[in-house]
Amino acid sequence: MMEVSASSVSLREFGCEQTLLSRPDGSASFVQGDTSVMAGVYGPAEVKVSKEIYDRATLEVLIQPKVGLPGVRERSQEQCVRETCEAALLLSLHPRSSLTLILQVLHDDGSLLGCCLNAACMALMDAGLSMSCLFCGVSCAITADGRIITDPTAAQEKESRALMTFAIDSTERRVIMSSTKGSFSVHELQQCIAVSQKASEKIFHFYRDSVRRRYSKNL
Amino acid sequence: MAAGFKTAEPLEYHRSFLKENCRPDGRELSEFRTTTLNIGSITTADGSALVKMGNTTIICGIKAELANPTVDAPGKGYIVPNVDLPPLCSSRFRPGPPGEQAQAASQFIADVIESSEVIETEDLCIDRGKLCWVLYCDIMCLDYDGNILDAAVVALLAALRNTQLPEVTVNKETSTPEVNFEKRHRLHIHKHPVGTSFCVFDDSVLIVDPTAEEESLSTAQLTVVTDEDDRLCSLHKPGGSSMSGEKLQECINRATARQREIQKLIEKVTHSVTTAQ
Amino acid sequence: MKDTPLSNCERDFLIKAIEEKKRLDGRQTYDYRKIKITFGTDYGCCFVDLGQTRVVAQVSCELVAPKESRPSEGIMFFNIELSPMASPAFEQGRQSELSVKLNRQLERCLRNSKCIDTESLCVVSGEKVWQVRVDVHTLNNDGNLMDAASIAAIAALSHFRRPDVGIQGEEVTVFSPEERDPIPLSIYHMPISISFAFFQQGTFLLVDPCEREERVMDGLLMIAMNKHREICSIQSSGGIMLLKEQVMRCSKIASVKVSEITELINKALFNDRTARKAGRKCGFAESLPQERITALKTDQSEVEMTDVSERASDIIQKAEAPPPMAASPVLPAPGVGQVGHGLQNTWGLEEDEEQEEESSGEEEEIKMEEEQREKDKTTEAVVEISDSEEEEVVILYPETTKKPKNAGSSSDQKGAAASKKRQKK
Repeated sequence: MMEVSASSVSLREFGCEQTLLSRPDGSASFVQGDTSVMAGVYGPAEVKVSKEIYDRATLEVLIQPKVGLPGVRERSQEQCVRETCEAALLLSLHPRSSLTLILQVLHDDGSLLGCCLNAACMALMDAGLSMSCLFCGVSCAITADGRIITDPTAAQEKESRALMTFAIDSTERRVIMSSTKGSFSVHELQQCIAVSQKASEKIFHFYRDSVRRRYSKNL
Repeated sequence: MAAGFKTAEPLEYHRSFLKENCRPDGRELSEFRTTTLNIGSITTADGSALVKMGNTTIICGIKAELANPTVDAPGKGYIVPNVDLPPLCSSRFRPGPPGEQAQAASQFIADVIESSEVIETEDLCIDRGKLCWVLYCDIMCLDYDGNILDAAVVALLAALRNTQLPEVTVNKETSTPEVNFEKRHRLHIHKHPVGTSFCVFDDSVLIVDPTAEEESLSTAQLTVVTDEDDRLCSLHKPGGSSMSGEKLQECINRATARQREIQKLIEKVTHSVTTAQ
Repeated sequence: MKDTPLSNCERDFLIKAIEEKKRLDGRQTYDYRKIKITFGTDYGCCFVDLGQTRVVAQVSCELVAPKESRPSEGIMFFNIELSPMASPAFEQGRQSELSVKLNRQLERCLRNSKCIDTESLCVVSGEKVWQVRVDVHTLNNDGNLMDAASIAAIAALSHFRRPDVGIQGEEVTVFSPEERDPIPLSIYHMPISISFAFFQQGTFLLVDPCEREERVMDGLLMIAMNKHREICSIQSSGGIMLLKEQVMRCSKIASVKVSEITELINKALFNDRTARKAGRKCGFAESLPQERITALKTDQSEVEMTDVSERASDIIQKAEAPPPMAASPVLPAPGVGQVGHGLQNTWGLEEDEEQEEESSGEEEEIKMEEEQREKDKTTEAVVEISDSEEEEVVILYPETTKKPKNAGSSSDQKGAAASKKRQKK
């Protein structure tokens, strides 16, 4: 069985800025290495009659690519982000209203879906929406020789044999979302999940730090 | 009484069954609906298959066309899958451009084809940089009763097994392709990916092969795709309630059993056609 | 989602303030808000902050066949995307009036002014040319999107480098940035659009209106000009009449503003170039403001990997292993196979006992229906009373050769399901 060397398993430097846009109710930009995503949240606001749900809020997620118009790939990513947010948000607190989350890709240097999830979570926090748990996105790549790389760059993604992105929840560190590419063994999958759970600790710690820093002067 | 209960409190109705470890249609929690497969259903297509899982019905037709390879990959052909969910199959779909579910399903099928390497795209190349095959895989839902992803993968796989491509030679003098329809050969299928879908009820109860009603009442859905070497080609869980690694392992093991079953089915049905001819 | 409407009281207040030559943010009449230009990691990616208004422009290129009318010219394509992020009033995928207006103005400003040498974008005449695409995404709309978009677009175009190409016979090879240094576009001049808002039928004028001011303005004049004081386009909208002197005055103000902004763009380009040359990082992580309390950054961090492999094996071993044998499929006919004995479909493909039972339940329903129908029929003069439901069904399905019982059960799924439940009770 392939052992994983520790050197490859690291998260790139990451950072986040909240409340950087004046118009949206909540906004955040999340940077992981060179990958960068900006997120804006509007709502709860009035909803179109056709999209109204009687017992909870309707969540819409839009992912805007940097070049060109959104295509089928963005649609499937939107679905992943939307259902992850739906799992975390307490939507039943705002029946018959709409929430809109817009994600603008600013630069893609690998782990894009993971970065989108992190930006989305920070923006939802900034908008002050009630959530049952927080979530974060972690991407793992498996190289041709079976090593695991967390938070891969675009070049590492291209050379990898398989790529997985997980959304991990903050309460029990379980998997909310999983999206994979390429083929891999069961053992590799379980390893990646375990690594992602470990990596998620770092990101949740960062969430905590940034919120603490943000409210440090309000008292 | 039961009908009224079902309409008024659909979730409670399902829960009352799940408590007894069975489902409203009489199945156990980890039991699939009867899967019926018919191949060669469309004579005008180069390959086709019809799959029924309970009421869910999916038909897949494969059309092969000649085209120029892309500049980035001169030695490869390409496969273009498309999942269509017409208003015919369920009242939840409206006419017009494909909705989100259809687009997500198309993307899922495309990912499965790419990840599992069911077909080596190099096999589709006829003349490097000049000529290659394009396989248009049109997957259409005729009756929507949940779990279309599993049915679509089975239909696609069976249709690819059924596909026969005519022989093409490139005329040296005129450099035009000549198609010999008399001489056909089968595609080389490298892997047999099979999907297994699950639904989670109330964040805890796991059921397999959900119907449309179960899908709409569940708190999470996931699809596991495995091939014959027990490798995973996809673990697609768009969201919903969170699951531990142990729970996911349960799903994977169920999916492995399902893969064997379906591969055997496809194997036998393909064999029955060749012997009948 | 709709935009929040402006109240009358706010409107009156704004107009009154403008009449008193005061602006909400403390600016003077001819002042621009603070402009910040930053570049991304990629070539041709530019962010512009105009006060709170934010846009990002990205230039990309690809090889395409040229237009037949101009076989030796590259193609320029501009697109301003009014993303819903910028304002709740913007909708995804809908061509609004504003979006058409902005796109048109940007095209006139940058394409029709011939500020970019399109002939240098030709690779093989009549066969392959570069298509340069400029995508401008709005991130936050606080008024005057046009000026921000035009600054972002021209700065991004000046920053952009296209890959070098080599031609050998008919083969065109595109070199990656590692093989050969990419080439900048040749830009003759930099047209920049300057917006003027008019209030009270043209009595009052403001430069660079913010979103609130845009809402109460009567008309808008956009002048695109380069630093050589050449006007590239003038567009007036909103239906106000302007005097010749007013337009002249605006163009004079524009010339001052344009030279200021051009200098700013050049300075930003120069800074970026020196930073890149020095090999310093110029990505987004660097542009994150460190001093704000809403921003936080961490360094690269290792993930502990000690018991990961053990945990994974543990989970796999603990789980119940899949059964080694699979159920054997049944083949009712060549080309058809079936596996599993779970729920059958209700199509009536197989006639098994259960369905027979179901249809007996079905019959009751049909009978009841029939009684109803018979009651109706008695009111008519000619009565054709059918004595069995078989006939009734045959009339309904004159072409079916199947047994009517079966047809009945397959025609009504819900009824069958309901009757099944009745039997269970």
